[in-house]
Amino acid sequence: MTLNLQHLLKTTIFISLTFFSCMIWAEIEQEQAIYAPVNELHTSLLRIMENAETNSFQERYDIMEKTVVTHFNSPLIAKVILSRHWKTLDEQAQTDFIDLFNRLTISTYVDRFDAFDGQSFKYLSIEQMKKNRFMVNTKFMRPDDDPVSFSYIVQNDAGQWKIISVIANGINDLSLKRADYSSVIKEKGFAALISSLNEKISDLQPK
Amino acid sequence: MTGKLYNFSKLLILVGILSLATGCATTQNNDPLERGNRVVFNVTETLDKHLIKPIAESYVDVTPVPVRTSVTNFFNNLGYLNVILNDFLQGKFEQGITDMLRFTYNSTFGIAGLFDISTPIGMPANNEDFGQTLATWGVDQGSYLYLLGPSSTRDITDQVPSTLLNPFFYMSGIIFAPISALSAVNTRANLLEQSNIRDEAALDPYSFTREAYLQQREFKIHDGEPPASGYDDIFGDDGDDVGGDVGNAGDEEESGMLVIE
Repeated sequence: MTLNLQHLLKTTIFISLTFFSCMIWAEIEQEQAIYAPVNELHTSLLRIMENAETNSFQERYDIMEKTVVTHFNSPLIAKVILSRHWKTLDEQAQTDFIDLFNRLTISTYVDRFDAFDGQSFKYLSIEQMKKNRFMVNTKFMRPDDDPVSFSYIVQNDAGQWKIISVIANGINDLSLKRADYSSVIKEKGFAALISSLNEKISDLQPK
Repeated sequence: MTGKLYNFSKLLILVGILSLATGCATTQNNDPLERGNRVVFNVTETLDKHLIKPIAESYVDVTPVPVRTSVTNFFNNLGYLNVILNDFLQGKFEQGITDMLRFTYNSTFGIAGLFDISTPIGMPANNEDFGQTLATWGVDQGSYLYLLGPSSTRDITDQVPSTLLNPFFYMSGIIFAPISALSAVNTRANLLEQSNIRDEAALDPYSFTREAYLQQREFKIHDGEPPASGYDDIFGDDGDDVGGDVGNAGDEEESGMLVIE
């Protein structure tokens, strides 16, 4: 009887440990999956910074293009930014806008991250938000300057975690663009917005 | 001195009127004064483009970085009594004591604040002002306000303590005028990178500046750690027609949301 009790206790402990280990493992795996798109973006940014002097703008653009297309949920970003105007566009216009917005995002990254001086990214934490969204908090460390706080909102899209917003020192790019673009649409119309975005992309290209 | 206090009392009246006139007028729309704000914004932008920015760029060209750093340290230190006051008003007593030490060290061993000797020994600068204090006391940001720069009817009230607590305010006009000019040029020089990024990115610089200002204020109010839930609003999960970030667009028509599942 004593033996059976001991056996039962051991079995219970074993099952409990296995159960909790599986839970912890699953949580770690999920955290890694959520962090993955951010890590990929940071790796690409460091790469284009390190290669700024040897690689051409186009070569660095190609690196970022792959990252942005794969790890950003651009259709969702475009939809949120254009808000109610999104519904007024036909499917082709929506696709064109997503493409244009991607080109602007990629060109901006290539233009801004154009020199390497020992910078690095530091992972801080992950916070849960509403509707299965998560915020990944990181810091961009600069040797001769204050660090920049970079947070990313990440959401699952058909089984793949993707970035849907970038927040730099508290400023959410999604909100910023939404206010900026809606003001242009209101004052001058959607065609003027497209024209202005094309101009911005052109300004970012090397002269 | 009497004249300066007279001018200051006029500023107080202006701050009071603006706060009273618009403080209660805001719910979703953070920019009911947009029309007037845009006029002031355009005037200051023109003035900046043709006068202040070129002076600031020339100042950067001819002044070595260590000198500019010391000038910035000097003016930051002069304004630091306001940070200390607001530390205590927000109940951050430990930070207040550290900031008092920081001010004392930099004012003495740092030669009137020219050198920031406190940061390397573990007393970095904090960013507090009366607008943040009011926010921690639960005061709403009120209406967005553009005067010499972006502000709000809540945040503009900081002009009162920050002016009165700045030792510089009590100096005679002969010293005050040129040092004020240096302070303005140095501040503008420190903002050159930011303003260039804005000009590069913004389609409508007014909306862009307003949105960036309002968001960065939230960031500062929460000492760089705003709650993640605040960033959920833009996705309009509850199907709200107005709200959060988008309300800053200053027009309910523009703030329709999409429900993102």
